[in-house]
Amino acid sequence: MTEVRSLATESLTKAFGGVVALDGATVEFRHGQVNALIGPNGSGKTTFFNCVTGMIRPDSGQTTYRGRDITRKAPHAIVRAGVGRTFQLCRVFPRMTALDNVLAAVRPAGLTGLLRGARARDEVDRARGWLTRLGIEHLADVEARNMSWGQQKLLELAGVLMGDPETVLLDEPAGGVNPALLDRIGTLVRELNAEGRTFVIVEHNMDLVMSVSDHIVVFDRGRPIAEGPPSLIRSDERVLGAYLGV
Amino acid sequence: MPSASERTMAAAATPGATPAARVSAPRPVGRIVQVALVLVLAAGVLSFPALAPNPYILSAGIVVLNYAVLSTSWNFVGGFTGYISLGHGALAGLGAYGTALLVTRAGLPSFVALVVAALLVAALAVPIGFAALRVRGASFVIVSIALVLILLLVFQSWSSLTGGSRGLVVPRPFPGLLRPEHHRVFYFLFAALLGLALLAWWLIDRSRFGLGLKAIREDEDKAEALGTPTFAYKLVVFVVSAGFTGLAGGLYALWFGDLDPVFQFSILTGSYMVLMALLGGVRNLFGPLVGALVVGIALEYFKVEFGDTQLHLVATGVLLALVVLFMPDGVLPAVGGLLNRLFRPAQSSIREVTAGELRDQRAAEAQEREPVDAGTTAGSGEVRP
Repeated sequence: MTEVRSLATESLTKAFGGVVALDGATVEFRHGQVNALIGPNGSGKTTFFNCVTGMIRPDSGQTTYRGRDITRKAPHAIVRAGVGRTFQLCRVFPRMTALDNVLAAVRPAGLTGLLRGARARDEVDRARGWLTRLGIEHLADVEARNMSWGQQKLLELAGVLMGDPETVLLDEPAGGVNPALLDRIGTLVRELNAEGRTFVIVEHNMDLVMSVSDHIVVFDRGRPIAEGPPSLIRSDERVLGAYLGV
Repeated sequence: MPSASERTMAAAATPGATPAARVSAPRPVGRIVQVALVLVLAAGVLSFPALAPNPYILSAGIVVLNYAVLSTSWNFVGGFTGYISLGHGALAGLGAYGTALLVTRAGLPSFVALVVAALLVAALAVPIGFAALRVRGASFVIVSIALVLILLLVFQSWSSLTGGSRGLVVPRPFPGLLRPEHHRVFYFLFAALLGLALLAWWLIDRSRFGLGLKAIREDEDKAEALGTPTFAYKLVVFVVSAGFTGLAGGLYALWFGDLDPVFQFSILTGSYMVLMALLGGVRNLFGPLVGALVVGIALEYFKVEFGDTQLHLVATGVLLALVVLFMPDGVLPAVGGLLNRLFRPAQSSIREVTAGELRDQRAAEAQEREPVDAGTTAGSGEVRP
């Protein structure tokens, strides 16, 4: 596969008071691949996500996406640049139906686009398409707050995909989901990747990470300590040390 | 306890479907009923001047319509984005003083002054919104209150321009009209403005812009993370809201003809807007109007019956408490839910429970069954000697 730079950071640093969450993290993810970001709790993975998606400002350092600087951009501008994300504690709009949750990801262009009906036929069809693909189309008219945790996770993913991001950041997609759903998410990631979408996945479930990833970056104390294909990471001493404390 | 057939139906539904599949969102009352209600409401509003027995009742009708316009204007921000502004009274006051000053100082014709003043209020809402919309929740409420207090001080102290606490007299736009005719004309002007505000709210409500605003109400950070430029959205809708509020304030100035800073820049005005919108239902097009009808009429009644006391304020407070306690979504959703239960018993028997509640319920049932099973076994054992 050709090496094209996807999401990359240069010496990204972020401290919360005295706690250094990111300590000069220089990372490069690969375009067109399924990348995983792993590491023990508190190693800075979610802070890293929040920094690169513009949710929080890094203290120093730089983020680029496909060569373009996105460090100081607002989150919505980063979405427009092609990077979508899910949240660790999955976030949906509780008092909106599943269909509206997905439609909310439509980015209207211009004044006419803004004032167009939110339930335009073509967008509704596309939204239902994503709900169908994730297996929750029967819940289209159900308010998100009445859906189960697993269904809400799928719904959040459907919304992100509705925005048609080139690169998808998933923050713990396997958190709190049952094994059957876990398989489905894994399969879906591989399928979407085959269709040309890049993934960066933060995950603790090693089975999922090892089965879906092409490239793994291991974080410890706010910076990467190892990277490589799953086969290499599995046997890396520093990784074992970070995870198991040996 | 669900019957066996119910369980089979659930199981027979789409493979992989969980119990929540059967829990559908509350259905709206039929479309025809809605249109009919709107027509009845419009006919009621428009026929009121002909039915009003005397000019006082007609002027009370204007006050209620004014409240309805103000509350609907407030609901552009409050209803769509969930930002509770107690400062909208200040925007109405600016519209009122703007109109009055443009008539008395700049010599503009009354209704030109009204439109120019509303545009000025909208323009002023850009820097105000730029500052205020950076903070959320309680902080936003406090900033919005600060706006009222600052403007009250300015308009009271700057008496060379505003007349200060002596007040400002606004020339009547139709000097030839007798008082009852004056009221009648302004009644229809307020009704037209209300129609315009409702139309704008309806257009936004069904648009993608509106969906983005509602996403902000639900979870602002999430909306931003989905690609919605949340700050720009909030600012635009705040400016629209301010424009309509300014129009309502200016029209009031032309009708009433006398302005006093204490009443124009009062926290009470903003509180009434919030109360009316909450009472009727902020998610409904006609919520603020219904709230204005209830609160406006109640306020007038209390002022007439107990004019010298502050009882109307006590009553308002009690009303707000009751609404928040028993109808947190407002009167309209509560009535809508009631109608659905009355007229669609079959559908309303679909239990509106969350998947989590259903899961707990199932677990409880399973626990119930097990001891019973154990009991039967033990019982059958006891039969034997």
